This record gives sequence, structure tokens and C-alpha cells, in this order.
Amino acid sequence: MVRVLRWIVFAIAVLAMNFPIVVTLITSLKSQRELSTNPGLWISQPTLDNYLEVLTQTSRFNIYAYLLNSTVAALIGTGLAIVLAFPAAYAIARSEAGKRLVLPIVINLRAVPLIIFAIPLYMMYQWLGLLDTRIGLGLILTIVNVPLALVILVNAISDVPAELDEAAKVDGASSLQVMMMIVRPVIRPALVTTFIFGFITAWNEFLFGLMLTTSRAVPMTVGASFFFAASGGGVKWGTASAVMMLGALPPALLGLVMYRQISGSMTAGAVKG
Amino acid sequence: MNHLPDAGPRPGVRRVWRIDMALVTRAEGRMYLTPLVGFLLLFLGFPAIVNLIYSVSTVTFETLRSPVLSGFGNYVAVLNDREFWSSAWFSLRFGILTASAECLIGLFLAIFLAPLLSKRPVLMAPLMLPLMVAPAMVGLMYRLVLHEFAGPIPHYLFEWFGDSPAFLDINNAFRTLVVVETLQWTPFAFLLFYMAYSAIPLDVREASSLDGASPFEIVRWIDLPLMKPTLVIAFFIRFIDGFRVFDNVYALTGSGAGGSTTSLSIYVYQAFFKEGAIGKAVAASVVLFVASFIVLHGLNRLAGRGKL
Repeated sequence: MVRVLRWIVFAIAVLAMNFPIVVTLITSLKSQRELSTNPGLWISQPTLDNYLEVLTQTSRFNIYAYLLNSTVAALIGTGLAIVLAFPAAYAIARSEAGKRLVLPIVINLRAVPLIIFAIPLYMMYQWLGLLDTRIGLGLILTIVNVPLALVILVNAISDVPAELDEAAKVDGASSLQVMMMIVRPVIRPALVTTFIFGFITAWNEFLFGLMLTTSRAVPMTVGASFFFAASGGGVKWGTASAVMMLGALPPALLGLVMYRQISGSMTAGAVKG
Repeated sequence: MNHLPDAGPRPGVRRVWRIDMALVTRAEGRMYLTPLVGFLLLFLGFPAIVNLIYSVSTVTFETLRSPVLSGFGNYVAVLNDREFWSSAWFSLRFGILTASAECLIGLFLAIFLAPLLSKRPVLMAPLMLPLMVAPAMVGLMYRLVLHEFAGPIPHYLFEWFGDSPAFLDINNAFRTLVVVETLQWTPFAFLLFYMAYSAIPLDVREASSLDGASPFEIVRWIDLPLMKPTLVIAFFIRFIDGFRVFDNVYALTGSGAGGSTTSLSIYVYQAFFKEGAIGKAVAASVVLFVASFIVLHGLNRLAGRGKL
């Protein structure tokens, strides 16, 4: 009896929390004509026309450009964050440096409203010519990703037995060699998790995309809102929904990968306990 | 780990060990930290200084590179601005309400669904899906969900009850946004709680069950106290994210009818981009920075005491 109740609660929770996604998916599969008469949750004649339109008629809004911009900026923002955070994490986990100042400051950065830095960054970008460029957006996404990357990597490196480093040192390896050839392969799973998590975060970022790009480097989150700008006859809900589904797909797919990793580390923790 | 094998017969090893007491010397550590620190100084330190200077200057888009120092007028303007205080009030209420709702629902789901999820971990995936979608995108999706002609919710409300509230008007927008935020981020609290709950050894619960404790008593006196650190952390993370909310509110209602959904982040954004009031926007940023510094400082001291 309680078991049935649990399933019911589970179903309600999943439906309620994913409701906007479900509605958008359904709407994206309705024809233009059906949309005007049927706003409900069923589809009488499913069609892929909206997706076709979005993917082929790109003269006004080019979804490929938004997807490419998001991909490039997110790759820069994630890759650079790891390149910067990994050596720093190694130093924090294995030496006396950085523990008292750098680590706490960077952790707290996650909790600071980033809008605080947005205005001077806007001016700085104007001076540097980085406004409306993918590189500029990627650099900001690096800032967004660094805190979590550093925390994950410090934890991962701290879990590596120091004996491993010692053995390599005794054999004459420099600390740089230890970092790159011993520690890096051992914590590869953490690096992958960091990358996936960072990519999702970067892809989903909105504020800086809105402020720092106008046309050439517009990311998907901002580009999607363009389809809501009424084009004479109001919002075309079908195409707008198709755009949102396509824009939400990459992080959602990656998220399924990450879910396995999370449950993997969960079971690992259970075994350890 | 600091025990060397017999020191006597292998003098070479011992000598190496004595020279490098730490695995990584402090100097090397600083070197490895340099790229990160340099990057942060450039992208956050420099903007912070610009903020401080511009906040006490007169500056417009025309004189962007040559601000004229003019004292604390910008701060006075911000602190006397009724809009600023109403947006601060919005952010505070929004943060507290959403964090509370998310933690309560997340806690209930974590404990109630645990027997189901521990047997079938794959059920976690649909529960975590909302976390993977951009909040801005979710905001846009709700424009559709709540649209009076195209949205299914008003459609069914009309069909069943003959009436549907205007979800985004001045009276309802705040409540609607709280629900939107809560539905998307409850999974985050749930995930943290579920992991903490699963980490409690089963025999603790079994022992108290043998002693005659009811399931409710076990939750109240065993599980909740053990999960307390996680509860505190989850609440604060969610509060901070709610307090600085921008994406979904901006995408769904903007500043809202009559400014009814202007969060602090949206206030700063609008002062800069819509009004071009650079000095005011920057001064508001500094105020926001000081406020979050105070909150974070308090939080860190709390965490330090609780050894979190």
C-alpha cells in the first residue's frame, strides 16, 4: 500500500517538476493549425514541421549559429577553468600554499551575485574589443566554472594517497611530473565530471550572454528568446517550442551521463562506509 | 604516511626526504596557483576596483573612460531609491520562500522515495532533469505554459472551472515565480538530502527500530539530526541562488508589471542598460557586494564552528 503511494508521489513529483519541458515538447510536435484550436496536453496529428522549419529556414534567426556559439563558448569556459583549476588544486591539496586565502575566496565566489562584476566587465570588454565575441563569452564562463572545478579537483586530489606522489618523488620526478603523470591520470574521473558539469553550467548561463553579446556571439539561451519577439502575428509557439527543445537537448543529454556518475560515486561512498 | 622504512641502511633516500619535507614546496605551490590567481585578479579584481571608483564618480556612456570623482552622491541616490529597497525586499522574500519550500519538499521526497530509489537508481534521472535545463529556458517555457490562449494550464482551468487567474499580473507574479523557481530547484535540495540520507548506516535505524521507535520517531530523532549539516548547507545555497535570481524572472516577466518582479540583479541590470544610470548601477553593485560579503562571512563563521 505504502509502495503504491510512493510510486504515486514519484509520478506527481516528476510530472510537476518537468511540466514545462513536457508542455514544450508536446507543443513543438503540433502543427500550426492545431495550435490555434488545441492548447491541451494531447496531440491529434503529431508533426515534425516545426523542427524542419527551425532547422531549414535560417534567414531571420539562425539556430546553428546560436548552437555553435554556445558550444564554442562553453568549451572555452570549461576547458580553461580546468586548466587553471587543476594546478591550483594540486598546490592546495599537496602544499601549504593557497589554503588560507585562495581556496575560501574562490569557494565563496560561487555565492556572489555575478551581476556585481557585470558592469565593469562590460566596460572592460568594450575597451578590449571582446564584446560580442565567443572568446569573450568563454572567458566569463571560465569565471562561472572555476569555483566548482576547484572544489571537485581539490577533493579528488586529496583522496589520492600521498604515498603515490612520494614514490614518484623518490624516483626523481619533479612535482610538475608528479602532477601531470601520476595525479592527473588517477583523478581522470573527477576531471571528466568537472568537465561535464562545467559544460552544462556554461551552456545554461544567461546573464552574461545577454549583456556581452548582441549578434555574432549570441548563445542559445539568449537566442531562444528572440523567437518570442513577436513577428507581426504574435509568437509562433510551435517553432519557439522546437527551438527550446533543441537548445535544451545538449545539456539534458550530458546530464544523463552525469547522473550515472553521481550515482556511481554514491554507490562507491556506500561501499566505503 | 610519514613513516620511512628503516632509515639506517639507505642514506640516499633519507637525504632526499630531509630536503623535501613537503611533497610540493610552498614556492612551487605558489607557482601552480599563479595562473588561477592572475586570471581572477584580471577578471574580478580589476572590475571590483572599477566598481569602487565609478561608484563615487559622475559618469555617463559618453564619458565612460574619464569618470569625474564626485563623492557619495550615487550611494545616496541608491539608498534613497524606493525601487532599490523594493527590489531588495523582493530578493529577500524570494530567497527565503523558495529555499524553504525547496528544502521542505526535497526533504520529504528524499526520505519518502528512498526505498524506491535505492532499488532502482535509474529513477533519479527524471527527478534530476530540471537541473539540466537553463533557468532562462525554463522561464521561456512557462511563458507558453501560462499563456492565456496557448498555455495548457489556463486552458484546463477555463475548461474545468470556467476561470483562470492572470498568473503574471501584478498580484500573482510573485507567487507564480516562487512556484516556478521551487519546481525547478527542489531536485537540487532533494539530491543533497537523498545522498545524506543514504549515507546513514542502516544498522542505526534498525537498532532504534528494535528499541521500538516508530518510523516517524526514527526520522525525527535519528535521521534529521544526522542530516542537519546538509540541511543547513542546502538551505543557504538555495537562499543565495534565490536572492540573486535573474535568469528565469527576466525571461518570464522581466521587471514585471509596475516593477513588481524586480530582483536586485534585475535592478542593477536595468539601471545600467535601460536607464544608462551607470553611477547608480555601480553603487548598487557595491552595496550588493557588501551585503553578500556580510552574509557569506556570517555563514563561513557558522560553518567553521560546526566543522562543516
